[in-house]
Amino acid sequence: MKKKPNKPGFSRRRIFLIVWLALIAVLLIAIVATSGSGGHEESIKEVMRDGVLHEKNKISLFGLPVNPGLISAFTVTGVLLIAAALIRIFAVPRFKTVPGKFQAVIEWMVGFFSDMAEKNAPHKPRFVGAYLFGAGAYVFFGTLFELLGVQVVTTEGLSVSLPAPLSDINGAIAVGVGSFLVILLAGLFTGGIRGLLGVLKDFSLPISMSFRLFGALLSGLLVTELVYYYTLTSFVLPVLVGILFTLLHALIQTFVLTTLVSTFYGEAVEPRQKKHKKNKKKKEEVSL
Amino acid sequence: MPLNIDLTQVLLHMLNLVILVGGLALILYKPVAKFLRDRRTHFQELERTTAEAEREAREMKAEYEEKFREADRVLKENRAAAEREIAESTARYMEEAKNKADAILRSAEAEAEARKAHVLEAAQTEIGEMVLSAAQKLLSDTASPEGDAALYDAFIRQAEREIPDKGDKHED
Repeated sequence: MKKKPNKPGFSRRRIFLIVWLALIAVLLIAIVATSGSGGHEESIKEVMRDGVLHEKNKISLFGLPVNPGLISAFTVTGVLLIAAALIRIFAVPRFKTVPGKFQAVIEWMVGFFSDMAEKNAPHKPRFVGAYLFGAGAYVFFGTLFELLGVQVVTTEGLSVSLPAPLSDINGAIAVGVGSFLVILLAGLFTGGIRGLLGVLKDFSLPISMSFRLFGALLSGLLVTELVYYYTLTSFVLPVLVGILFTLLHALIQTFVLTTLVSTFYGEAVEPRQKKHKKNKKKKEEVSL
Repeated sequence: MPLNIDLTQVLLHMLNLVILVGGLALILYKPVAKFLRDRRTHFQELERTTAEAEREAREMKAEYEEKFREADRVLKENRAAAEREIAESTARYMEEAKNKADAILRSAEAEAEARKAHVLEAAQTEIGEMVLSAAQKLLSDTASPEGDAALYDAFIRQAEREIPDKGDKHED
């Protein structure tokens, strides 16, 4: 008598095993999810408040209590500078006329900001190109940095994950004001006092830049904190929320900041006479 | 300060930003940007050189075409001149040949006339001799003064009838 061959993956024993293990897993998740606060020492209110204001969780930087965002900023800067030095030493001297994949990525990054500077500030693109590259790398990699979830110990002995540097309002203000100063100095060097005054009329620029960055990064941070706070929502959702939000924020904020800086810089360094003629032409067109 | 803004930390963030921007600009941005600029210049130079070479080639081609046209024109002119010369030379030879032929014909005609005259003269002499011999023969057979006179008369009359016709032809 011939034996009926078993179909792989569809035997009764296998189906039973799968259902049994799935049941155990669901029950374990349900038990963990319904077993109270999950060991949180802070309430959600405190976590959200601290995410915005950083009042409680301070990190000691050579004895000075600072927000975790500043530690993130220094870490990102250190990593970026080391990576840049390694690329400069090992990769750049081996650059070829027909680039490989890695060279193409580096060239694309530099070329993107260089082209943006030449397009938006054609009169003096070199300096602003370098600034855009640095600031863009800072915003992009700084935002992605929170994905690593590097843990540090606060002054109170708690463990916190290092956030994006720009989710700290001090970091956002530094970037906003720094960018404004770059534009201001460019206006001063190019157009003298008139150039300086021309830039100063856009006094709302540093505030808008700072708060745009802070708001965008903070919203991502808060949503991520919220998702991670509850055990039930911290299984699959963080993959979508954390990574997608962070990636999107990184790309969008880098593009917005660099575009704004290059545009305002281009206006600041634009020769006054030409601008006057253009305005005159525009006025004539409008009057016609 | 509101929102927990800390000036020291803002300045620390700015210091960090300055270090990062300056460092990245010096270490990575400038060398790579310089490489990109150099490569762009290199390709622009290549493009310019290629365009220059193409322009030179086009000019050379036009020059050669012009030379070809000039050579063709000269060739045609030479051929036409040669054809003209051949035609002239042929005409000249034909004329000369015709003249020579005419001269030969005239000479032949003159020679023929001379020969005719000579033949006629010889014939007259021979006839005379024949007549003489015939006369002698007759005389020897029937010799009498009356008979002789009658024969002479008859012969002369006959000769006068026949000879003048031949003499006329000779004169013609």
